Amino acid sequence: MKHMKKPRLHSTARVRGPTAYGAIAVSAFLANGQNAIAADAKAAEDPAVAALTQPTSSIDIGGGNVSSSSYKFGEYNGLEDKGGFAVGDVDISGGGRYDSDSVTRWNLRANDVGLQASDARFDFKEQGRFKIDLGFDDWRHNLSDTYQSPYLGLGSTDLTLPSGWQKPIVPQVSPTSLNYRSLSPVAGQGSAVSPSGQVVAPTASQLATLDGIVAADTGAFHPFNLHTVRKQGEVGFQVNLSPELLASGSFRHEAKTGYQPIGAVTSQVQENSVVIPNVVDNTTDQLNLGLEYAHRKFFVQAGYYGSIFKNNVSSMSWQDPNDPTKTASMSSAPSNHFNQFNLVGGMNFSPGTKLVADLSYGRAEQNQSFLKDDSLPIGLPEISANALVVTKLASVKLTTRVTPKLSLFARYKFDDRANETPVATFAFYDVNIPKGATSSAFNTALGLLPGTLSSNVNIFADRPQSKKDNAFSLGGDYSLGHGQKLSGGYEWEKIERTCDGTWINCSSAPESIERTFHGDWHAPLFQDVEARVNYGYSERRVRYDSNAWLALVPMAGVIPGAPIVGATTGVYGYLQQTGLTGFGPLLGFPTTPLTGNAAIFSPNNNIVPQSLYGSRDNVSELPGMRRFNLADRDRDRLRFSLDWQATDRLSLTNNVEYDRNNYLNSLYGLQKSTNWAVGLDGTYTLSDRLTASAFFTHEDQTSRTAGDGYGSNTNVAFIGRAGNTIVDGSCYTTVLERNENGKNDPCLRWDSNMHDRADTFGMTFAWNGLLSHKLDLSTDLVYSRARTDIAVDGASYSNNPFALKAPAPVLPAGTPAVFLVPAADLPAVVTRTVDVRLSGRYALTQKSDVRLVYEYARTKVDDFAYQGLQLGTGTEQLPTLQQAPDYVVQVVALFYRYRF
Amino acid sequence: MAILRRTIAVLGIIWFFSASAPPVLAGEPDASLHGDQVCTRCHDETESRPVLAIYKTAHGVKADSRTPGCQSCHGSSEAHVTNPKGSSTRPPVDVDFNPRGANPPEILARTCLNCHQNGQRAHWEGSEHEHSGLVCTSCHEIHTHGDRVLNKVSQPDVCLTCHTTQRAQFHRVSTHPVTAGEMACSDCHNPHGSVGPKLMVKNSVNETCYTCHADRRGPFLWEHSPVAEDCTNCHTPHGSNNAPLLKARTPWLCQECHTSDHSGPMNSGANLPNGNATTLGGLLPLGNQAPRSQMNGRNCLSCHALIHGSNHPAGARFSK
Repeated sequence: MKHMKKPRLHSTARVRGPTAYGAIAVSAFLANGQNAIAADAKAAEDPAVAALTQPTSSIDIGGGNVSSSSYKFGEYNGLEDKGGFAVGDVDISGGGRYDSDSVTRWNLRANDVGLQASDARFDFKEQGRFKIDLGFDDWRHNLSDTYQSPYLGLGSTDLTLPSGWQKPIVPQVSPTSLNYRSLSPVAGQGSAVSPSGQVVAPTASQLATLDGIVAADTGAFHPFNLHTVRKQGEVGFQVNLSPELLASGSFRHEAKTGYQPIGAVTSQVQENSVVIPNVVDNTTDQLNLGLEYAHRKFFVQAGYYGSIFKNNVSSMSWQDPNDPTKTASMSSAPSNHFNQFNLVGGMNFSPGTKLVADLSYGRAEQNQSFLKDDSLPIGLPEISANALVVTKLASVKLTTRVTPKLSLFARYKFDDRANETPVATFAFYDVNIPKGATSSAFNTALGLLPGTLSSNVNIFADRPQSKKDNAFSLGGDYSLGHGQKLSGGYEWEKIERTCDGTWINCSSAPESIERTFHGDWHAPLFQDVEARVNYGYSERRVRYDSNAWLALVPMAGVIPGAPIVGATTGVYGYLQQTGLTGFGPLLGFPTTPLTGNAAIFSPNNNIVPQSLYGSRDNVSELPGMRRFNLADRDRDRLRFSLDWQATDRLSLTNNVEYDRNNYLNSLYGLQKSTNWAVGLDGTYTLSDRLTASAFFTHEDQTSRTAGDGYGSNTNVAFIGRAGNTIVDGSCYTTVLERNENGKNDPCLRWDSNMHDRADTFGMTFAWNGLLSHKLDLSTDLVYSRARTDIAVDGASYSNNPFALKAPAPVLPAGTPAVFLVPAADLPAVVTRTVDVRLSGRYALTQKSDVRLVYEYARTKVDDFAYQGLQLGTGTEQLPTLQQAPDYVVQVVALFYRYRF
Repeated sequence: MAILRRTIAVLGIIWFFSASAPPVLAGEPDASLHGDQVCTRCHDETESRPVLAIYKTAHGVKADSRTPGCQSCHGSSEAHVTNPKGSSTRPPVDVDFNPRGANPPEILARTCLNCHQNGQRAHWEGSEHEHSGLVCTSCHEIHTHGDRVLNKVSQPDVCLTCHTTQRAQFHRVSTHPVTAGEMACSDCHNPHGSVGPKLMVKNSVNETCYTCHADRRGPFLWEHSPVAEDCTNCHTPHGSNNAPLLKARTPWLCQECHTSDHSGPMNSGANLPNGNATTLGGLLPLGNQAPRSQMNGRNCLSCHALIHGSNHPAGARFSK
């Protein structure tokens, strides 16, 4: 029977992007070393046998030059800086001969020594008795070399602004509101609409203020490179305690340091933020221990895995550019640890029937002390989360070859993630949000004096979410003969999601069931042509709870007190009684005044006021919103492949993948996604020494998401002045009509359609054995173009900037006070990369050769996201001046290899 | 008692059906060098394929009593050795690992699994690769010093020969450092079979990711539920045009699940710094223009930066 085996790549280099250069030496050895040895073998019989049977060692040393600095080119390969570099590889093996009495073998392998992308491994073993291995790995991930910031102390956990920092404002717009557009002399010095409704240029005084801001603030920006470095050390062992009993273990220590960009909010309600270099300084220690007993008929494996993550950074703090007397802070990831015990056993009832069972128990814990700051008005209910997640897994799988043609399998799997973190209630104000003037309705309920908490406080409870997964699978394969095979299977999966300790159900999807059917046909179509088709259909149905979000806000179960008057139930009770969600009635402004609980909890038919459930802002979702990972879904999955050995020299392969997800009951949120890909591969062997291969892959992904920018119902009939009543829109023509239907305005419904397409093309030529088998040449080319298009349908309202209160005049007759601005598609995000690599190896002697490598790498990214990071763009976000990757880098390197 | 009887009955049924399974290849081959000479007197150093190179590998350490000989894996192959009919083309060996050979995959796999059945291969039977008809030698090179899949630098070349979509994804602007030689496919996947989904080395996708990203493990006081369930709800680990390894761009990725408060309104090109909503078609003077912050720069992640979870008492919005 023919097997599905794809044509091999002939050059290892072409699948890699910018990469380690020593690695090329290693991989080329692996690909070409045998040719060199075969060449050596011709010299003499005994040496030829020895060359084939004795381990070959090699040392590579080399160096080169990088034409330009680029963080993106050097993202992972250690070649981010322009200039020269030296690099070396080692692959040394030793020990006894194959035909000796010695079972000792050892190997030392090191790649890219000299670059910050190096690794080394040493193995020593007495085969069949024990093995020890030591490893080291060091790699750097470059993130950005164009980031800039005005903060002092970059690289530390406490960032301050320069002493001369001036609050960025656009004084002709507002003398008090933070506005980062002032950092650009062009955007900041633009005209503005005055309170009297006139377009006015900034005054001389205002310009002087703006010039001062530019000089003090913009001038303070300075670069700071963002990157992380991981250094890993590992030691491992295996001991054959007996022919059947094997003990093993490994310990890995990793230290990660560096700086990653992270958003940092300075005012939650104003949506002001900065981007700071988050200090990364942590270690991860991982221990594996195992004991295996293997008999011909059965085996048992017991294992332990432990992981300790220690974060040496507890928090970051930064001064508020709006008011440097204030500081904001955020916590860093808590130190944590995970311990897991695993047991796997298998029984071979016969050569064709096997039962395998798994048991696993794990505990993930952290009890890092909470950070305390001014956002916590009444302190904390506990000093740490005492967080604990217990994971349990049990799986039983039976496979059996019933007849030579028929095999069956059955499997049951239980996977449980039980979050046992205690539930507690926390009262806090959002970042740099002062206590409001209105009292919270829950002071009394919390045993506090009236006015202790204001209505803009958040009274939230954590939701430790647990998930229980039961899955059954059945399936079988049937051979129809002549290499043809049919397969099929069915899977049933039930997932239950709960929280232990929350006052109501916390999960939007407390229960979901998914059924999957799949079929596969595999056959030789004609001589030297093999085909395979696989189709799967899944149907997931979810019991959805649209009010599960209330578990976050325990005050929803409390009747609000003063200053609220007349409520006879809490928010939760009101929603239960009325069958509503937090969005409230799907109605416009009521024609008659609401009374009682309706007036309190759905004022003007609007959403439930967030202060009535103890939140500063609205937390409820739209009715019909379904979180896609918890939503009803129909899924189709198709795979097709074709292998054709056209001639002895030419082989072709075609692959097609297609996935379609339909979230059929999702009125909002992700509704559909489709992914498909087509791949073509070909390899042509022109001669024993000349091969060519090429590949092309096209990927296509689309997704559609729906949403609604709903407003509030009011009976306000004008904007600014009473005569400003016209709406230039397709749904409503007057301000009153629009406002009365603020919640249900169809013009505010929107759809976004995201389309990702990528084409990747690669080619490789390898020409070996030139110049009397002394010269090998190879070339690799990879071209990739990825494009993301985002099309948006919908609209949003914008007020006419001249529709102001007195003293501004009423707008001229017929002038809209409100415009309906249609959506616009986003500029395409396009990434193009070209990587060309030329390599030549010349054998100096039987034991040594030189290798010359030239690489040309070009990448250009067009991404609109970077536009919002420049001076003069955002009003609320401090710019970073980061630039999209755009580089041309050439590398030339020369290596010398000695084999022994 | 009833449960015991049922269990015995089930095992008996299994035993009955398994009795009709194909027999193990018969014969105890001579695994010594002397035994190998049956083969190596022809398949010597002049062989176009370097079969003798197996002696450089663990399979060639003859002092280890477990080490197989040629015939341990390829069978006694009497017909191939003696060629009784004197054919110009010798009959094939009993166990031929040639991809177009006559042996079914289960025979080839069992040849290796006779010695290597446990450890990482515990879940081979019924695994995705086994179901696809792959055998050990589909990926492993036995007669070579330097099996490419055992070297993290060259391993992707083998895997990506079949997984061509992932090969293309590794050329996206945001990737894991697999093709850079810093990670291997086997750091995340066990190609021999796994109890986890998608051949993950650990019991779940998240447990696998946490081996390198333990800072995301928590457990956090404030969990972001799709994060705690499955990292691939938002991330596509092989490569993406949307950094960092996101399935879709923010803010639209976030809007696939969120409609409340300021996550609800539309984000479009009209909200970009030069967009129509920002400029009102030129009606709004430059000084008054204010591009929507949820749309620009780092958008949602400008404020909700701790999106994987927060341990701050005031971190329910993932801002602290």
